[in-house]
Amino acid sequence: MKEIIVAVAGQPNSGKSTIFNMLTGARQHVANYPGVTVEKRTGKYSYKGNTVTLVDLPGTYSLTSYSQEERIARDFLLHERPAVVLDIVDAANLERNLYLTFQLGEMGIPLVIALNMMDVAEGRGLKIDTFKLSELLRATIVATVGKKGKGGKELKEAILNTYKGGHFRMGYGDACESCGACLGISREKGHFRVDYGEKLEPILRPLEKMLSEDPKISARYPARWLAIKLMENDSEAHRLVGLL
Amino acid sequence: MKTNVMPLTVASPNKRIKIISLAGGRGMQERLISMGLGPGAEIEVIRKGAPGPFIVAVGEARLAIGAGMAQKIMVSDNGMY
Repeated sequence: MKEIIVAVAGQPNSGKSTIFNMLTGARQHVANYPGVTVEKRTGKYSYKGNTVTLVDLPGTYSLTSYSQEERIARDFLLHERPAVVLDIVDAANLERNLYLTFQLGEMGIPLVIALNMMDVAEGRGLKIDTFKLSELLRATIVATVGKKGKGGKELKEAILNTYKGGHFRMGYGDACESCGACLGISREKGHFRVDYGEKLEPILRPLEKMLSEDPKISARYPARWLAIKLMENDSEAHRLVGLL
Repeated sequence: MKTNVMPLTVASPNKRIKIISLAGGRGMQERLISMGLGPGAEIEVIRKGAPGPFIVAVGEARLAIGAGMAQKIMVSDNGMY
């Protein structure tokens, strides 16, 4: 039976570990990244006959190379290519948390978003249109309250469904006729994409095209992501292109 | 009223302030933006640092930042509030 590798990403204090523990129960163990003091935890759970391995990445605000944690998270996503990324988003600090979500989306790995601490957000009078957000981010969104164990089953279903390339679900509690887990917007509508506007897109698009036409590069790295990073003059992106 | 721009390190605590611009290199600026401390963000200094970190409120979150980072955040506290 094939093992499904799922990376758990999120900003610090988004409740990542709580969700991780909720999904894996007591079966997680702690491991160290070699040579670094940052922990990488892995844990497993079974769902509908599938074994899912969760890899808990260090909490990062972003995926640049600013800190060791960011480099670890980014290298794992880039080189290990997990089947799905579970992005834990603090619903009460949505704007800041989406900064990381955008970067994850740009890496082209299918996303499942846990909109966590929904009780806190609602307590502050915030109303989040998960339906609209799901459509914009092209990802399944599950509302969760990690510390009360709410949303675990829905997350497992969303992860499996996303892994199978199913339709992404348009918000908590909705169902579609074809797969029973979404509202029927298929992935064919394309990946999540940030429009960088008329000043940057004319530079970005040809670069993206050029990178995607290089078989060595396009086999390894998402062209759009690499183009954006090269445009940012990111040293790691320069190194990756230089190696090939 | 003329807008008074100063580094976060000299801003008065417990007062709504607005981030006007960021100093520092690309890495530092990106870091600050990713933490929700980008231009336009409305924040409040909860605790003045030096010694110790500055504690700032961004929305409902509290962030602890060192004096070096705080020095690179240019804020304004008049003319708007």
